This record gives sequence, structure tokens and C-alpha cells, in this order.
Amino acid sequence: MNAPTPALVASRPERLRLVGQRRQILTMMHQRLMFGLLVYGGVIAIIVLRILYLAAFGDHAGAKRGLTALVPERGDIIDRDGQPLARTIDAWTIGLWPQKVIGDKLNLARKLAQLMPEKDEAAYFAMLKSGKSFFYLRRRAAPNVVEAVNALGEPGIALEREPDRLYPQTSLAAHVIGFTDTDGKGNAGMERAMNDRLADPAMRGQPLQLSISSRVQQALEHELLDAMTKHSAVGGAGVILDIHTGEILAMTSLPQLNPNAAGQGSPEARFNRATLGVYEMGSTFKPFTVAMAMDAGIIKSFGKMYPCPGELHVFGRTINDTHPYNRACSVAEIMKESSNIGSAQIADQIGGKRQREFLDKMGFLNAVPFELRERGRPLLPGNNWGPLETMTVGFGHSLAVSPLHLASGYATLFNGGVYRPPTLLKIGKGHAAGKGHRVFSEQTSYKMRSLLRLVVTEGTGKKADAPGYRVGGKTGSAEKYYNRSLLVTTFAGVFPMDEPRYAMVMMLDEPKGTAETFGFRTAAWNVGPAFGRAVSRIAPMLGVSPNKNREPDMSLVLPFVHEDAKH
Amino acid sequence: MSAARSFRSVFMVASCAGAALGCYLVSLRVASERAALEEVETRIVLAQRDIRLLQTEIGTRGRLAQLERWNVRVLALSAPSADQFLEGGFQLARLGRPEPTPAVDAPVVLASAPAPDPQPAPLVEGESGAVGAGANQSAAQLMREASFKIPVRETVAMEEPIARPQPRKPVETASRQTTRKLTELTKPVEKKTVRAPVAKAPAKTVRAAETGPAAKGKKAGDKKVEASVKPVTKPVRLANVDPLAPLPAKANSKRTAKDSGSAR
Repeated sequence: MNAPTPALVASRPERLRLVGQRRQILTMMHQRLMFGLLVYGGVIAIIVLRILYLAAFGDHAGAKRGLTALVPERGDIIDRDGQPLARTIDAWTIGLWPQKVIGDKLNLARKLAQLMPEKDEAAYFAMLKSGKSFFYLRRRAAPNVVEAVNALGEPGIALEREPDRLYPQTSLAAHVIGFTDTDGKGNAGMERAMNDRLADPAMRGQPLQLSISSRVQQALEHELLDAMTKHSAVGGAGVILDIHTGEILAMTSLPQLNPNAAGQGSPEARFNRATLGVYEMGSTFKPFTVAMAMDAGIIKSFGKMYPCPGELHVFGRTINDTHPYNRACSVAEIMKESSNIGSAQIADQIGGKRQREFLDKMGFLNAVPFELRERGRPLLPGNNWGPLETMTVGFGHSLAVSPLHLASGYATLFNGGVYRPPTLLKIGKGHAAGKGHRVFSEQTSYKMRSLLRLVVTEGTGKKADAPGYRVGGKTGSAEKYYNRSLLVTTFAGVFPMDEPRYAMVMMLDEPKGTAETFGFRTAAWNVGPAFGRAVSRIAPMLGVSPNKNREPDMSLVLPFVHEDAKH
Repeated sequence: MSAARSFRSVFMVASCAGAALGCYLVSLRVASERAALEEVETRIVLAQRDIRLLQTEIGTRGRLAQLERWNVRVLALSAPSADQFLEGGFQLARLGRPEPTPAVDAPVVLASAPAPDPQPAPLVEGESGAVGAGANQSAAQLMREASFKIPVRETVAMEEPIARPQPRKPVETASRQTTRKLTELTKPVEKKTVRAPVAKAPAKTVRAAETGPAAKGKKAGDKKVEASVKPVTKPVRLANVDPLAPLPAKANSKRTAKDSGSAR
């Protein structure tokens, strides 16, 4: 209709051009209109389709969200039997908005001081007057306090629920589990080591299962605490390992810590002696020395004799024995009465290089590779590792390791000679046992059973025996390097000795003599009996059935213990 | 037809609207069902949360440290010792020792009726001959042997309803001998002298000893027997519970019941 009429006569070129331009403009306008139409149509179609979709598949207005599954703010931690060790619950928090307070401030301050006496009236009044926007009055408040505060009816007081970490077993395995800060971030123990796993929204629905068994842990903690109080020790540590898998079944450090209020604990209590603390372990090292010598072919039978004079003078140092033999003594006797002189000579024969290699393979030269971040690096002689140090390391001096190292070493020695890294996570579907490597030969491992059993049946560890459970182990009493009058007493043992399954280490830090121990404060008198009691409680829980008729092959050692050597 | 044709569009619209309404109703229904389901799910989750809270509270209140404290202060339970564990059923069975069962050929039954007093008395008296004879005789009469041969017993019981012979000493004899002695016993029974030895009272036995054979004491016996019937029942009762000789005891008890009746 608007099309230009064709010119009958040839129009002028500019005219022709004008007609062409007009047509072009018109088509362009058409195109634009069409485009606009399509855009509007498309938008409307999208809206309609969306509405239809929502009508068909969408939720209705009253649908609730977020409560379809129970996912805690932070993953639970459970023990190997499924008992909860850490949980996140909703706790009440009482806050204060001073500027929103409408009532009489002095009166309110008075009432608050009555309800929450941790601050006095003046302090509350100062808060109310301060002009700041917010105060926390109390976190994790008890329901009755919340109720009472709510009854004040003051709009300036905020009552809110916020997720809070609760440790139902309080101090049980506190150093393993660790604790969180007020923001729910892991600050120690597994809470810190596994923080990402516990806070991960995808994973936190599943609890984190530890290898700890809470009943075993409780028994160990109780017996150790008992010994610690009885002997006025400043601290203690205990570890139980499954020697075949490397699982840590119980690990404790004393004094106790309540992770629900970790901030109130002393730094001493927060310190993990079992993994972070390193100590000279004394005679508990001697079995390693003997095993090394057996593997190196130096000792072929426990009947091999060494001169055991009253004192041994080497490199300007004098090595003493608590039970001097003053005669030649066999390897079995050296171990039985824990002779430093004999062990030093054995270590000397092994040599420094070989000793270091063995210790390295046992993981004694590095921090224990496991989950916790609190791992202590061993203190080594370093560049001074000469012949004298080789000898002293042979009986557990000049080398400081953590109790976990020691337990792991005993596990290596008695599980057939294979080192396996310890772990705090339960071995199972999601977590395979660590890769092991051989340190001692199987035969050495087998022979050592009777040697350590001898220490308990005949030697220094008699008090650590738990009848029927075939305990084998070694006492160790080492002086502290900064004060030679203070002792660290240790008992490292394995049970049942005829077929070892569990290694256990108990340690007391600075025990004192009591009337009951006749003033003695060596391991045989304090930590030894505690070890025996602990084993007789723990072994049945772990399925070790007592049997008084079973023993390891004692014919390997008994012929080499001379009667006159008995004290 | 034309009307129908002209209304066809109306019908079409109406049916479409109806179908749409129906669909909408169905979807509404589905939505409300879904909402109800969600409500239930929410309630389940809330209940789970409550359960969790309660479990946490119970777990906290009954934490192991608390149990340990109670144990130390109140219960004082300790770990079982090695001896308290058993390897299996055999060891358990070994713990329970059964009651020693009597051997079947256990020789003896001693149902001692009359007290031991009478015997010393005659001995002290010194009349060895007479006393000895009397004592011997009474002893022989008192004696009765255990036997599981019930029929023999029964016949004895029938024959002498009054006699209550109490064997005093264990006598080891075969059952053949028993029968022989039983026949011996029956003789004095007929004379009713048996009562004298049976009677418990020491004085009477002494008298019997003085007068010689037991046969002479029968008059004195008559009264005494009545008195002595009661004491006699006592040992009988004892014999009843004696596991060594259940059968004779039973026979005795039956007999005494009858005896006392007939005596009176």
C-alpha cells in the first residue's frame, strides 16, 4: 500500500534512490517490529511455561525446606563401637542489645546479676550504659536460666539458639578428640586434624569414626589417673595399640582436660603428653637393642654371655646398674634385671650406623605419621651420635621419643616385625590399614616374646603381671635431663604374650615414692602395678580370654637364668 | 443438527475447560497429599532431633566417667579374675558337682531308733553275761538290713505289723543273708517281745537285761510301747529323707503308720 508507484518515465536518479531508500527503511521497520514481537512473545512464553511448570512440579506455598534431613552443623565424632564422643547440639545463647533496652537499666542490671552471678551488678550496669550495640551475656546457657531471663520480658535481651559442640563423655579421650573454638572451628586433636572433613556439608551427615574404644579408654584413663594421684605424679600418658592394624584403641594424657570448657584447662592439661611430649624412655628401649642384635646376627641365643661388672667405664662416662651382677651374665639375665651395662655392650656391637638404620625403620627418628597435628619430633643425639651415644641409646637414654613412638615400636617388634603407621581412624571399609614395611625378622619377633615374658614372670616387671593374661613387657625409669632427681617411669608391654595382639604403654611423669612403695619410685613400683590392673580390666573387653595354662615358649630363656641371680 | 453444529464450539470449550479443571483438581489433590507427606517427614525429622537430644543427654548423664565414679564410691565392682572365666560348656559343667549318688549295692541302712543310751547302761552294770546276752539279742533284733528287695520287705511288714526293728550298725551282707535273718526276726515278733527292745526308754532296756531274755520284759513293755511309739516315728522320718536308702525307709514309714494304729 505504501509501495512506491512505479514511475512510468524514467525518473531522475536521485528520485530513484529515494524510492529505494524508503523501501529499505520499511523492510527494516518490519524486521524490527517482528523482532520486538518475538521478544515479547518469547518472554510471555517463558513466563507461561514457568508458571505451568511450577503448577505441575513446583512446591506449594506452604512447603517447608531445610528440615527434610537431619544434618548437623558439624559432623559427629563416634568411637569404634558407635558411642558418640562429640556432637553438635543447639544451645541457648543470651545476648544483650543495650540500645534496645526500654526498662529501667539499673533494675535490669540488678536482676541480671541475680540470675547470672558471674558478673556483678555494676558490670551489667556499665554494659547497659556503654552504648555498644551487642554483648554476649552467656553462651551455652542452661534452660532454667534462659527461662528466667525470658521472664524479665526485656526486648533488649536476645535469646537465640546456636550450634554448640558438646562432648558427652567430658574428659574421656579429650586429647584425641580435641576441642573447637567458639566459632566451631577445630582447635586441637581430631577436631583440628579433621576440621575440613567435619565441616564439609557433603560429609558432615556421616559421623567420623575413630579407632578409640571408649570403654578401653575409660579403663586406661582411670587406672592411670589412679596411679598418678597415688604417686603424686605431675602427669601421665597411656597408649594402647592393636599391633596388627596399628589402630590406637586408647590414648590418654593426664592431667585431664574437659574439652567442653577447654579454655579453663591449664596449658599443662591441654598438652598432649602421649604424642607431643617426648621423653627418654629408659630401659624400655632395651628389647629393641636385643632385637637389633638378634637381627644383625650378633645374638644367636639368649644364652650369649657378656661381662657384667659393677661399673662400666666408657669414653669418660660411667654406666651403672641398679642390680649389679659382678659376673658374666646372659642376655636373658641382662633383660631380666634390666642391666644397662649389658645393654650398652650389645648396642656397642650393633654399632651406631646399624642402630640408626633400625631406629629409622621403626619410625623413631621422625614424628609419628598419623592424623593428629600434635606430634612431637624425637630429640636425637644428632651429630653427636658417636659410640658413647650408641651405647646410651641402647638402654634408652640420649634419645627422647613420645609414648606413641614407644607403643608403635613394641607393636613392630611383636607383630612379626612389621612397622605399620598408627592411626586414629577405625580400619574398615573406608580406611585401610597403613602400608607396612619389615623391620625385624619374624623369628626375632617370635623369640622376643619369651624374653619379655621373662621380665614379668621373673624380673623387674613382676608387679605388672595380670594373672592369666600373659603380660610381657619392660619397665623403664629414666631421669629427666634437666633435673636428674626427677624420673619418668614407663612400662611398655604386650599381651597376650603367647600370641601378641595389643601393645600398651603407660607412663608417669615425676612420680614420688610413697610408704607403700617403701620410697621407691622406679617403674616397677608405680606404673608397673597400674599396668597389671589396667590389663586385667582391658583384656577381657578386647576379647583376650585369660588362661593360666598358656605361656610363650619359655624354654628359650629359662635355661639361661641362673638361680643365684635371683634377688 | 444445525443447532448441535452451531453449539459445537461451545461444547468444545466446555469440555476443554472441564478437562482442564479436572487436571487442576488432580494436581491440587496431589499437591495437598505431598504437603501432608512433607508434614509427616518434618515431624519425623523433628522427632529424630528430639531423640538425638535425649540420647545426648542420657549419654552425658551416664557417661563412663560418672559410672566409674559410682563404681568407686558405691558399687566397688572390680575386673573379674582369670579364674572367673570359663572356656566352654565343659568347664561350666565341671563347676557344678552333682550330689553323690548312692551305689546301688550300698550295703547299709542304719535307722537307729532307740537311743544309744541303753547300751552303755548295761555295760556299766557289769552283769556281762546276762546283759551281754540281752544286749546282743536286742541288737540282733534291732538290726535290719538294707535291701532293695521290696517284695521280701512287704511280706515282712505284713507278717509283723508291730515290729519296728531298727538296725543299729551297718551290716554288710548280701541279700541272701538278709532274707535269712529276716526269717529269724519274725520269730520273736510273734511273741510280741520285740516291743521291749524297740522301746526307747533306757530304764526299760535295763530291766529287760536284768530279767534276762527280752521275752520276759513284755508286760512292762505293753505300756511303754505306747509311749515309745512317738519317739519311734521320729527316726522313721529321718530315714525317710535319708537318700541312702529310700526304699526301706518308705517301707518303714508305711509300717509304722499301720503299727501305731494297730497298737492302739
